[in-house]
Amino acid sequence: MNSTMASNGTALRHNAFVYASDHEYLARAVPFLKDGLAAGEGAIVAHTKPGIAMMREALGSESARVTFVDISSAYTRPARTLAAYHSVYSTQLQKTPKLRAVADVQFGPNPGEWDQWTAYEAVFNRSFGHLPAWVLCSYDANETPDPIIEGVWQTHPEVLAGGRRSASGLYEDPDRLLRRIIPPAEELSELRSLRSVGDAEQIRERLAPELTAAGFGEATALGMLLAVTEVATNAAQHGQGIGEVRVGRAHGRFVCEIIDRGPGFDDPAAGYLAPRDGIGSGLWVARQLTWQIEFFRSPRGFTARLWL
Amino acid sequence: MIAAECGDAAACRRLVEVFLPAIASLARGFQGSRVERLELLQEGVAGLLFAARRYDAELDTPFWAYASFWVRKAMQELVAQLTRPVALSDRAARELSHLRRVRNELLQSDGREPTTGELSSATGLAPAQVESLLATERVPRGLADPLSSDDASGPTVAETIVDPVAEQAYEKVLDNLEIDGVLDLTRELEDRERAVIRSHYGLGTEARTLSEIGAGLGLTAERARQIEAAALAKLRQALAQPAPVGSVAT
Repeated sequence: MNSTMASNGTALRHNAFVYASDHEYLARAVPFLKDGLAAGEGAIVAHTKPGIAMMREALGSESARVTFVDISSAYTRPARTLAAYHSVYSTQLQKTPKLRAVADVQFGPNPGEWDQWTAYEAVFNRSFGHLPAWVLCSYDANETPDPIIEGVWQTHPEVLAGGRRSASGLYEDPDRLLRRIIPPAEELSELRSLRSVGDAEQIRERLAPELTAAGFGEATALGMLLAVTEVATNAAQHGQGIGEVRVGRAHGRFVCEIIDRGPGFDDPAAGYLAPRDGIGSGLWVARQLTWQIEFFRSPRGFTARLWL
Repeated sequence: MIAAECGDAAACRRLVEVFLPAIASLARGFQGSRVERLELLQEGVAGLLFAARRYDAELDTPFWAYASFWVRKAMQELVAQLTRPVALSDRAARELSHLRRVRNELLQSDGREPTTGELSSATGLAPAQVESLLATERVPRGLADPLSSDDASGPTVAETIVDPVAEQAYEKVLDNLEIDGVLDLTRELEDRERAVIRSHYGLGTEARTLSEIGAGLGLTAERARQIEAAALAKLRQALAQPAPVGSVAT
């Protein structure tokens, strides 16, 4: 298997394969990684504890050159999962010019989460498109729900199936997929406006007592203050200034809206692109520190809604 | 639930206390697995806390119905990991044999179990390698195994396992509880930076103005503002380091 640039011109190769047995998994994963190691590339295995044990055994002495990542607790929120993988890939790329990774995906059985993790796989293509990485996402057919297996063809440009690698005829442009499956933001009339919030510092000063009153600990509150700082800075620099800040609770969560006077933007992947030269990373930071961020136009203006 | 998702230590502990009996009930399903009960409980707690970090009440699924999948999965993975037969390479088998010999020699000379460091020094193996090799020898105690190899008719391992609802077992799990998963940004800051931010925004202390904070540090308000701005920039940089693409020599 040669490591060349992906057919869509990005540095990233993002493939998937579905396996029905440990034997089938090993038959794909081990030669893939060994070929990369022989070419001087880094190797990463992201799996559960038993999966890691299985790969250590199969790789033998080569396992000393492999980075093993326990993903048992990695798939919490898409933005945080991307950040976790970015950290692992960054560490590896400090040692090798390229890397190969086999990552077992943990969607979970709840249908209410499938769209979210399908969106994660789709945005992965844009998030890490600049990285010289060949990532093989593995899906256990015995544990992965059928709708997710079907979604694999939509989110991975190439899929290994039936012993062959082929371009997915069902691959969907990530932005189009995100727009299709992300629900529109709803109006939250229960929020109230904060006064005197012209800049990021004033927003932090008004928001901090709200977070304390809501019972958030120091670390979480600081994270949220940093997140709103990034969003407010964005609004000030690109959004013609901050128009309004609203806070309150909705659906059991603390919400803060930052509304600017500008035209806004239309990028469903905003804040999901891993840091790189030439693009801002403020929204990447903000997404890691919050439960969710929605961007939308409303009668009040262009709104960034941060959920905690 | 949301406080626990955010990493609030007290909320996490309360969550674990509430659901520990349910976790213990799931653990009973693995009683024949020869994995220690406390380990199962602790792994189940890890699954519970993971579920709390993912759980969205908007899913219309009760929390335990959602979390029990991840709790059971965590236990299953532990059992699979610990009861999996380990096949060693020839080299690893020779290293393990050498390690066993050295360990027995040290046991006889010192009258106690040698530490990993001592075994590493004596064998020339890295500490991580020593631990890895020793782990392959680990044989989980069977429930019917006698506690003492000298007394086959004596109490068994099963008889030492406390009732799952007993306070002592739960306390041990709670004592071992490590709450992580929340990004503690304060660890990135120097003491003065942390003090300025905490004071300015009333985080764990009374809120003060930058003038008051500066006066307390013998600085101007503007200098205090600069310290705060630098601290926020440091936190942003810690979370937004680009990967070193193309910077490693081939």
